Amino acid sequence: MAKSYDYLFKLLLIGDSGVGKTCVLFRFSEDAYNTTFISTIGIDFKIRTIELDGKKIKLQIWDTAGQERFRTITTAYYRGAMGIMLVYDITNEKSFENIKNWIRNIEENASADVEKMLLGNKCELEEKRQVSKERGEQLAVEYGIKFIETSAKASIRVEEAFYTLARDIKAKMEKKLEASNPPKGGHQLRASEPQRKPTNWLSRCTIL
Amino acid sequence: MDYDLPTEFDLIVVGTGLIESIISAAASRIGKQVLHVDVNNYYGGHWASFNLEDFLKLKQADSKSVDIALEGDSNDKDHFLPIGNSLNQLQHFEIDWNVPDRDNKSDSLIEKNETHDEVEEIKVNKDCQQDVLGVTKEENVEVGPQLGEKELKEKCDTEEIQPVKDEIEQKCDEITQESLRKDSRKFVIDLCPKLQFARGDFVELLISSNIARYAEFRSISRVLTWINGNLEVVPCSRSDVFANNKVSVIEKRMLMKLLTSIEEDEKNPSVTEGTTFKDFLKSKKLSENILHFVLYALSMSTNETLWLEGIKKTKRFLNSLGRFGKTPFLFSMYGSGEITQAFCRLSAVFGGVFALNQKLHGLVLKNNKFESLLCGKQKILSPHIVMNVGLAPESFLKYDKTKLLSRASLITNKSLVNSEKEHMTLLLYPAANNKLCTVLELGSLTGTCPKNLFLVHITTKGSDDPKEDLRECIESLFPVEAGSETSEKPKILWSSYFSIPDTNELNLNSFVPSNVFLCPGPDSDLDYDLSLKKAREIFSSIYPNEEFLPRAPDSDEIVIGDDTEAAKEVTDHSDSVLNNSDGTSETEIALEARASGSDLDISSDVCEPTEQENLKDVEQCSEAKENMQ
Repeated sequence: MAKSYDYLFKLLLIGDSGVGKTCVLFRFSEDAYNTTFISTIGIDFKIRTIELDGKKIKLQIWDTAGQERFRTITTAYYRGAMGIMLVYDITNEKSFENIKNWIRNIEENASADVEKMLLGNKCELEEKRQVSKERGEQLAVEYGIKFIETSAKASIRVEEAFYTLARDIKAKMEKKLEASNPPKGGHQLRASEPQRKPTNWLSRCTIL
Repeated sequence: MDYDLPTEFDLIVVGTGLIESIISAAASRIGKQVLHVDVNNYYGGHWASFNLEDFLKLKQADSKSVDIALEGDSNDKDHFLPIGNSLNQLQHFEIDWNVPDRDNKSDSLIEKNETHDEVEEIKVNKDCQQDVLGVTKEENVEVGPQLGEKELKEKCDTEEIQPVKDEIEQKCDEITQESLRKDSRKFVIDLCPKLQFARGDFVELLISSNIARYAEFRSISRVLTWINGNLEVVPCSRSDVFANNKVSVIEKRMLMKLLTSIEEDEKNPSVTEGTTFKDFLKSKKLSENILHFVLYALSMSTNETLWLEGIKKTKRFLNSLGRFGKTPFLFSMYGSGEITQAFCRLSAVFGGVFALNQKLHGLVLKNNKFESLLCGKQKILSPHIVMNVGLAPESFLKYDKTKLLSRASLITNKSLVNSEKEHMTLLLYPAANNKLCTVLELGSLTGTCPKNLFLVHITTKGSDDPKEDLRECIESLFPVEAGSETSEKPKILWSSYFSIPDTNELNLNSFVPSNVFLCPGPDSDLDYDLSLKKAREIFSSIYPNEEFLPRAPDSDEIVIGDDTEAAKEVTDHSDSVLNNSDGTSETEIALEARASGSDLDISSDVCEPTEQENLKDVEQCSEAKENMQ
């Protein structure tokens, strides 16, 4: 049976309540926009498979289930996450200021090498803007992460954001694979093909 | 935070222990509006797990619940009961470091020894406590130390680049208090470490309710017992029995015969009611070895366990064999605390409102029924309230003395029984005082401990002195003299002792209003089945005709791909797995998980130590899935 993907990435959405995390998720996973969910109920995670450089990548994107509201995100939420979208609302100064707190939260709970990205959402609301694009960029530079302004409602750059994050994770992963399989001298005849370490395949696997 | 809570709910749950969390999940699942609050800033109460630094802070946090009780605001005209009682506290907390506080390589040998002694003598090291304070999260929260974070990030990066070899060559005396604390986050220390029987009610519930998707599991890879002053592997399967060279051929037959006949023995008892399991086994004319294996290891009985209970416990062990891995036991990765969080996640997904770190003042009663909870400045109404026993008002409880669980958690430098691959070990140690100590040794594969170190959890039914309760066990397994470097035994680098109140036998029903439900804390059992039973009982008292945790739908049942083929493929695919039943145990994992639509993450013991963050796993996983299909 052919497998339906080459890689599985677990991604998380983090940020204050009301910044549009769930909308971003819906825009990306279903290409839909819905204003009716006031807070996140019943949304666990969504899946979308994308293709990058000929590889099928299954993105499993987890939502906070509303537990961000009183800062009660479980430590378990962060386990095994490879990428995190930090979302703020460009019309809400407070949500931007809180990004620092969320990053601290991530550093306390997520894996040290998790790939992070900053999203300034609701960029269609230019007239209500409180956080300039420059400040977003500057914060991202400070933390050494990428930054994009998006609009889930107007469908602006949401795709681009997830593709960028996925590409960065993939690159990091392939670099790691290479690093752990250093060439043992001589000629590498199949340099283009990633070497797979013969491992016992049951190690830490999700059996789907 | 900046938000106020809504002021009316269908159910209020106070405390985030396991039983409370199960009830919260079950109530949210059937559409009830649930408010779930805790006074702590972490999930789990006495079921929680902590990194090393946070664990060290626990000792200071002990007095917290008392403060809350005193803060009660009794202005309310109605009957007001302040929240909290002494059962919320861990007792007899003691921490010892057996390593120098920092690396003194350059110093002379004498100086080094002095430091060493000093650290050992300060039992609950005051300096260390202050150090902890210096780096508390709370202090940092509003300050925004970006520099510190960057440094931290760089540190982490460099750490990872270091080749693994260096770590392996690291000698035990190079480990310092500083180096252990620097790795604080790599430790996950359970207050109450638990295992799960592979076919126990709890695992069945995780699968049937689809909560298994919020946690990952590993199977315990060996079961040991202590017999005649030695550690022996307990044979867990037919092939184990035959491979074990410590068991003679005659004994092998004896054991197989006993295990196959035990079913009938239950139905046609050949013994009188008061017979102990030990006497029952003796009547079977077993050898000393076999008797020991069955009595203390397979059935986890003591000399006083009655025969019927002993048989039931033996059957429980046997029934769970052969499902996942070599032994009947599963351990939840990243610590037992993750399990309560999994239930909280489900509750949140179905609309449960969670608020930790809350100032809970008390309950307001009206006509001898619970009316509202005073939380912060708010008064929150609900027809029912479920509370952890430790957070209940004093007047809801009448008891002289509660039982205790004696606990030790140790960090050691090597496994109890060294072997090439890393094991997760359960050791059943029958102590001379007729108590059974359960010892759980976890390595880095469980995500609870850095590489090349081990975390050892020891639990027994306790008295007022956990150190004394566990002394025999610990002295048998680890070198008594700190200086005996020649010893083959693992060295204890850090140890902690404490007692947890075992509230499972208290009368929790008689002194409470009819719409208040008290949940006991952890029990002395190895697994969660008893707690699950209690959660089920409370749920059905509140919602008599409702289904208990029916299967939650999968979010990925609808797969949105680049093309619709992907979605179709997934559906076809699951059918084919269901139809394919060639009974190897690995397939069984897939089948059962599939059949109930869950992804129960199971890791076998047969694996190389892999870095948990290692992204390679993903690829292995997809390979694994392919192999399986």
